[in-house]
Amino acid sequence: MKTKCIHKDLIFYLDNELSFDKRTAVEKHLEECADCRSFLAFLQEGMQIIEKEKNTEISPFFYTRLSARLNENPEHQAQSQWARLSQPAFFLLLLFIGIYSGLKLGRNASTTKENNQATSVQMLNDFAAEPIESFLLDEL
Amino acid sequence: MDEAQLIKGIQQGDRKSFQILVETYQRMVVNTCLGIVHNKADAEDLAQDVFLEIFRTAENFRGDSKISTWLYRIATNRSLNFVRNNKRKRFFQSIEDTFTGGRNRNSEISENRGDQPDRNITDQQRSDLLHRAIDRLPEKQRAAFTLNKYEELSYQQIAEIMEISLASVESLIHRAKKNLQEQLLDCYKKKCV
Ligand SMILES: [Zn+2]
Repeated sequence: MKTKCIHKDLIFYLDNELSFDKRTAVEKHLEECADCRSFLAFLQEGMQIIEKEKNTEISPFFYTRLSARLNENPEHQAQSQWARLSQPAFFLLLLFIGIYSGLKLGRNASTTKENNQATSVQMLNDFAAEPIESFLLDEL
Repeated sequence: MDEAQLIKGIQQGDRKSFQILVETYQRMVVNTCLGIVHNKADAEDLAQDVFLEIFRTAENFRGDSKISTWLYRIATNRSLNFVRNNKRKRFFQSIEDTFTGGRNRNSEISENRGDQPDRNITDQQRSDLLHRAIDRLPEKQRAAFTLNKYEELSYQQIAEIMEISLASVESLIHRAKKNLQEQLLDCYKKKCV
């Protein structure tokens, strides 16, 4: 009888991380299941890419290039750092200007509102002749 | 020259010490970056940034860990940052493309693939697939897996570099492998390459 497929164990099988019992069971299953064998091969070929990439040659001018970058005057570095810092600072300044002018506008708006209230008080005063009770009752 | 002398030299701005350090560790640093960014030119640029950072911040090195631990840590962080920024850039690029009708970058890849004979998977396709799978791992899993697989570091060394417990490293690598296998199985079933 064919045992259950073991796809999920295969990466650990490849890395030799299974217990003895599990390893034996996996090997037994592999003998009888072509699909698991085929996936094992697929997985193995995939992981072998890492082995190939590990042996990448480094450009022979690595240090020469690095040394040149080190010689790029620190001023330049300082400048770019300044540029990096100045941008957020600029936006922060804009934000503060925004908030400040917002507050100022808000205050202006509230003073005009007070004026408006003054005029509305005057308008209300026109109703002063009317008894306050009936005015309130009308509202209800 | 031992590590302490090397660091002392670099702290004093000695270029010769720096050159020795670079030549000793360049391969290791480039490899670490390559495992995360998957492109040789980018990996070398990043490795250069790593060494420049070392040269400029050498006075902060207290010598309570090995130089390699320090280098691995900076290399991993810089590479993960690079990928993160690239993803962001690609996201905005894709938005730009939708508005400007820019040509679909993916089509380049599929055009290349059109030349290949059926079901004869090339190394290029295999490596594209593996890279895509690695890129989809959460950052910590990616870092631990890369250090383990590309640099063949022990779990203990990885724990020191990532400043986490041994158990966490074990768990990260286990989950990374499980994730990769699921992605590769998915691809295998769908015949995605
Ligand atoms: Zn099976």
